[in-house]
Amino acid sequence: MEPIAQHEAREALEAIEHARRGVAAEVGLPRWYWWLLAAGWVVLGVVGDLSAAWFATVATVAYGAVHATVASRVLSGRRRTGGVQVSAETASRRLPVVVIGMLVALVALTIGTALVLDADGTEHASIFAGIFVAAVVGFGGPEILGVLRRWARA
Amino acid sequence: MSAAKFDELIHPSTRLTLVATLAAADWAEFAFLKDRLALSDSALSKQLATLEEAGYVATERYLVGGRRKLRARLTKAGRQAYDGHVAALRLVIDSAGESVAAESVEG
Repeated sequence: MEPIAQHEAREALEAIEHARRGVAAEVGLPRWYWWLLAAGWVVLGVVGDLSAAWFATVATVAYGAVHATVASRVLSGRRRTGGVQVSAETASRRLPVVVIGMLVALVALTIGTALVLDADGTEHASIFAGIFVAAVVGFGGPEILGVLRRWARA
Repeated sequence: MSAAKFDELIHPSTRLTLVATLAAADWAEFAFLKDRLALSDSALSKQLATLEEAGYVATERYLVGGRRKLRARLTKAGRQAYDGHVAALRLVIDSAGESVAAESVEG
């Protein structure tokens, strides 16, 4: 004899899926990560504009190294908040790829903005481009990542 | 893959949602679970205690900045029971589908 009816089993499985999606929605990167990234973007913009080329290169490499260290701990997206650690099975393995793709697009946006501002005759074009993209990252990073995750189904 | 086994302890809706939430996580804090399940402190404590008594859930109390926190996770036995329960639910649906298909062929 079956312990429950078919419709009851279906409702239970729907409740399970709803609970799983609720936890999966917690996947993401902590807020401080986005603000750290934004701060680095501004610093690199200033350094690139005001300092010697060799120093800008060293600063960029240092920024990349620091980011790689921080990102290696948070890129899995399993600990966006301190309230839950999403299991590896629930979190998509594609999330780091999506984040890196987003960073590459933001670098392209920074370069494009700086070129447009420079062509327009703006002084300190790279600083303004850095500030612009930093604002995009700081204020909209989680939302942009959310949209990209849906597109990539990650 | 776990063998299908209907679990009376897990099946009630609140407990099922609680176990399914923990199954999707390595661990979850009391406040997170309370928010997700929209339960009072006492109701959630009672559900966790029931699951802990059965050996399905393990809880850990710790201090953060002077505030006491509680973290819960599914044990190995809890995960096996949950997987078995999910398999049993799928079996109910599958067997019902097969019955309908058989009736269609016979009819």
